[in-house]
Amino acid sequence: MVHETVIGLTGAPEPLDQSEAEPGRQTEPYAGPDEGSLMSRVLLIEDDAETAREIMAELVDRGFEVDWAATGIEGLDKARAGEADVMIVDRLLPGVDGLTIIEVARQERVCKPVLVLSALGAVDDRVRGLRAGGDDYLTKPFAIQELIARIEALLRRPSENRDTVLRVGPLELDLLSRTAERGDRTIDLLPREFRLLEYMMRRKDQMLTRAMLFEEVWNYKFEPQSNLVDVHMGRLRRKVDATNEQPMIHSVRREGFILRAPA
Amino acid sequence: MRLPEFVRTTTFRWTVAISGAFALCAFLMFGFVLAQTYSYAVSDADSLNSENVRLIAAEDADARVRRLNEYLQNDPRREKLGALFDSDGHRIAGNIENLPSDLPPNLAPRNIFLVRVDAFGRERQRARSVARQLDGNQTLVVGRYVEDFTRTAEISRRALTLGLVPALCLSLAAGAFLSIRAQRRVEEVNRKVQRIVDGELRQRLPTRGTNDPFDELARLVNCMLDEIEVLVRRLEGVGDDIAHDLRTPLTRVRVSLERARQRAVSVDDLRRSIDQALVGLDQSLAIITALLRISEIEHSRRMDGFRNVALGDLVREVGDLYEPIAEDKEVDFAVRAEADTTVHGDRDLLFEAIANLVDNAVKFTPQGGRVELSLLRQGKEAVVRVRDTGPGIPADESELVTRRFYRSDKSRSEPGLGLGLSLVSAIAKLHGFNFRISSGPGCVAELAGQSAAA
Repeated sequence: MVHETVIGLTGAPEPLDQSEAEPGRQTEPYAGPDEGSLMSRVLLIEDDAETAREIMAELVDRGFEVDWAATGIEGLDKARAGEADVMIVDRLLPGVDGLTIIEVARQERVCKPVLVLSALGAVDDRVRGLRAGGDDYLTKPFAIQELIARIEALLRRPSENRDTVLRVGPLELDLLSRTAERGDRTIDLLPREFRLLEYMMRRKDQMLTRAMLFEEVWNYKFEPQSNLVDVHMGRLRRKVDATNEQPMIHSVRREGFILRAPA
Repeated sequence: MRLPEFVRTTTFRWTVAISGAFALCAFLMFGFVLAQTYSYAVSDADSLNSENVRLIAAEDADARVRRLNEYLQNDPRREKLGALFDSDGHRIAGNIENLPSDLPPNLAPRNIFLVRVDAFGRERQRARSVARQLDGNQTLVVGRYVEDFTRTAEISRRALTLGLVPALCLSLAAGAFLSIRAQRRVEEVNRKVQRIVDGELRQRLPTRGTNDPFDELARLVNCMLDEIEVLVRRLEGVGDDIAHDLRTPLTRVRVSLERARQRAVSVDDLRRSIDQALVGLDQSLAIITALLRISEIEHSRRMDGFRNVALGDLVREVGDLYEPIAEDKEVDFAVRAEADTTVHGDRDLLFEAIANLVDNAVKFTPQGGRVELSLLRQGKEAVVRVRDTGPGIPADESELVTRRFYRSDKSRSEPGLGLGLSLVSAIAKLHGFNFRISSGPGCVAELAGQSAAA
């Protein structure tokens, strides 16, 4: 079921030109996390009741356990308790800056990942710095799929594994020799395609939105007008999934992309 | 007691200050003239006195008396004084009654009072005098009544009272008049400004057609008001544009939902309509996001986050990002970044600006066309140029396209938000860069900024 809820004012714009999306290859819309993140606990610190209700409904649908704090004080108490696996913190709470809550929690050695919700005009260097620290931020208005995808990405941060070869099903990526193979077939990749594939392999079975890919692979946080990510993904997909092979890169309509090992 | 209004004005205070200064000047000037006259009169008297003393002293006892009498004759203004005294202080000859006790002989001349006795009677006179001890124990006293000086002092005093007092009164009156006039004008302007503040943006400050500074100021303020009025009108225009651009996709959403509600017979039908509606909503939301983004950039004070940015790398990265898009569209895409230069700026924003220019160029260039992204160096300027073979922008529209929502009529049919170039313009403005759009064949967009010192 295509289900999109927009929180705040707007959602991330979908590319208007969908020509790159290949209809035959679309999978069913993304249904939710699989076994790995089942019953993860989310602490939501958000003062707007309606926004909070929408976010909670969506998170519960996807199998999360949600704890809601409506004020900064309550949020701070719950954050310090450290029971949540991930926190969603509104930057602008009455009387408190969301970032202060995070700082206090960090001082008490609560090291759970955080997603900060910030108004577009309030993105400053402190907020930008979150990304460098392994946390993330999202500007209001945002689409709820974007929020869910980012929460899952935070929960399933790639393990710090020092392997120099990444493997997903028959796909093999050698980080040292910068080569890729699918079974016996060698895949010839351009540097940016290599980066994209590496990022996806580290996050296999995970929903990756266009905005996340653009930020993480290309390192830019703005919304390109053209369907840039789709075009680059199309290139990569043609190389990874040859015509007679089972597709591994799946596009999820209106949401993003997933890399999965063939069934 | 309350002072009248005009007394408290700046003009009046200045008038009082200037009148005071003027009076002080006059006093000093007269004082100087008096001092000069006095010293002239004194030195004149001294030299005459000593000359006569020398002449008389040179004679022998009898001739002295004769010479003294000759000297004292012919004195219509009664200013010459002189007498010869014997050792007992008795007058031998001359017109001074007694030997003055306060004039020791053979010393420098002094101002003393002498008593004149002559045919006209007895009179006490202040005189510049000198005494000399002569042989035969005689004492010669010669003096001169410095009448010139006394007279000059008297004339000055009268001139000061007759001239200065009316002048001061006149200047105070003029000051009061001017300050009352200025006061009225200020009040008039205040009333107008208050009306403008209350929202009557059409009001203008009164001018009198003279070229005085007050008029000039009023004219300048009026020019400013004109500009503000134009901007406000334009802003209203932008509001209309936003409404229009939002209404189009929203109308589509409404129609699609309405039709689905009435006609849909299966869940699939419904889903299709909802998908359609979502596209329209996303479009509206994207417009709002882009608008917020532009005002975020326009209001940002992120200058302190500026660093040196190597434009060569940036241009190559944008090229890398857009190359597949151009290829898909079968547009020839060339990136040239040989002249590597550095500018001072925000790397992410500059990337966004260049990406937007390329995005536009690729979008508006038809299949088989060509887009060139190049980095040039023109003197001290680094220029990023994007040239395409698309339809171009008519000269009269090249300024308009950087305004929010402006879309050339030709491009209305292309997908896009009409905000890309205003975003570039906002980023350029933040960096103090020049953003130019010109039309050759096709369209040429240039972003030019000062190269940072290496």
